[in-house]
Amino acid sequence: MASNEYAKVGEFKPIDLLAVSAARQVTDGEVVFAGTGLPMLAIMLAQKTTAPNAVCIYEAGSVDGRPIDLPVSVGDARCHYQASIASGLWDVFGQLGRGQVDMAFLGGAEIDQYGSVNTTAMGGYSPIGKRLTGSGGNADINALAKRTVFIMVQEKRRWVERCSYITSPGWRIPKWPSGEFVHKREVYNKAFRGGPYAVISNMGVFKFDDDGVIYLETVHPGFTPEQVQDNCMFKLNISKVIGETKPPTYNDLDLLYNVVDKEGIFLP
Amino acid sequence: MGRPQKVSLAEAISLINDGDSLTFSGFTIWRRPMAAIMELIRQGKKNLHLIEVNGGTHDDMLIGAGCVKIWESCWSGHELFGKIAGNLARKLEAGEIICEDYSHVQMLYRLVAGAQGIPFMPTYSAMGCDILNPEYDMLGKAGLRDGSNPKIPAKKYEMYKENFTGSEVALIPAAQPDWCIAHVQLVGTEGTVRVLGQKYADDEAMKAADKLIVIAEQIVPEEFIRREPEHNLLPPHLVDYVVELPWAGHPTGCYGVYEADGPFIKDFFAKTRTQEGFDAWAQEWIFGVKDHEEYLAKLGVSRLEILRASAALGYSQKVKRGSR
Repeated sequence: MASNEYAKVGEFKPIDLLAVSAARQVTDGEVVFAGTGLPMLAIMLAQKTTAPNAVCIYEAGSVDGRPIDLPVSVGDARCHYQASIASGLWDVFGQLGRGQVDMAFLGGAEIDQYGSVNTTAMGGYSPIGKRLTGSGGNADINALAKRTVFIMVQEKRRWVERCSYITSPGWRIPKWPSGEFVHKREVYNKAFRGGPYAVISNMGVFKFDDDGVIYLETVHPGFTPEQVQDNCMFKLNISKVIGETKPPTYNDLDLLYNVVDKEGIFLP
Repeated sequence: MGRPQKVSLAEAISLINDGDSLTFSGFTIWRRPMAAIMELIRQGKKNLHLIEVNGGTHDDMLIGAGCVKIWESCWSGHELFGKIAGNLARKLEAGEIICEDYSHVQMLYRLVAGAQGIPFMPTYSAMGCDILNPEYDMLGKAGLRDGSNPKIPAKKYEMYKENFTGSEVALIPAAQPDWCIAHVQLVGTEGTVRVLGQKYADDEAMKAADKLIVIAEQIVPEEFIRREPEHNLLPPHLVDYVVELPWAGHPTGCYGVYEADGPFIKDFFAKTRTQEGFDAWAQEWIFGVKDHEEYLAKLGVSRLEILRASAALGYSQKVKRGSR
């Protein structure tokens, strides 16, 4: 069964395609920051398929681990099994600050058309609506990695013109203290080195144009660009769609279910 | 103080006053001083001010019990075992607690500056975010940046155009909490501290605080721990109090010793959906037992044995974690 042929619709779940599409964003040899959850499936799958030389850093302080069991958190001992270094935040965020991180996987509860993300509060911050976890490293990593890839649920209320609270800086952001919205380059100046590169949702794969505005690149099998538009609050650019997202291969599915998440933690 | 004092957990916690500021060892659900958290709750501490690189099961317990007035951090939740911090969210939404949000790097740098004895650290991290929105300076809005509390800086941050290369950076103020309570694997009989596995932000948290309480899984002969000083984190003169208390990080995980107790944390998170749920949980697990010994007895040997880490891996493979 394990082959490089593509699985057919009905032979994989939406979450499988999320993990596989995210894994395909990794270029071999890159240094990758990954957070807890789907990002772990994505980087571990990438390392076992198309990017065997990718180096994974977890923000709690492990570098280039070779986990044999799926971690439940970036602070898990499983992250640093066979790692080259087990250190701490000062070390790994220092590497990020120094420009060593090529790409990063992140998530969020709300995303806007410029790739800014909210993981802090839905429905207002002061007074607060609904409190979420807060930034963690999201703001730091989106700020200073060369490319970031977001893994998001596609729901209309979560895909908005402008985030109600910007936890993590996308392409057009407020320059404090005035709060004027400008391109990220104007906020970061000499420290600017990139930003949101792709967003993977359960309906499609998105990229950003030269102005930092999101557009739909591929739709997942079974969806139309119009259906994706219906799940965004803003007018989505669907004029650049190049086709359908490639499904997982049988080999991808075998690795996901029998190696990466053999215990069925994310993929029951 | 030259050498740390060895005390009981209850003695150590009794030194902490209402209104004191606290920071902790560990990361989210790993190596948190949980027995100390439960003892703080038992002793009925009030108006605590938490200043930490990130939160987790420990601070949500303190917050649920009404011990906390101010939470300065960047994240709280229970990782895969609970997607948010239920008590924190409920009390924030009810306006019962003040929260000052920063990013991970910003919080780390606050403690780095505190540990180095300098007033601030510059960083490019997290510029252009609402963390820096002047409207969201919550301690400022509450009138608490007036200098009356030495643990609260006059400003949340400052944007600064530096004169070396002409770039703009954010200056983040130092933090020196009154106390750090740390949970570690090994402490020598004289007080040398060794942390195994990832160090998270322990070094910074322990050195930034005015006073340090270290809770050790094991106290070992000083001669043993000094055979390989390159593996040690702190010398005795930086430690104020040492408590020896095995399994005192449960239900969080302690590298090389035991696994995080996922089902326990999941159950805790479920109970925090309401204050009544949390109160009943606290009645059973905190007030219903006299101390950590009774807590461990209530958990039972077989539960703890499943969590015991493999010597080869540093974690346990006996825990049922998923559907397969």
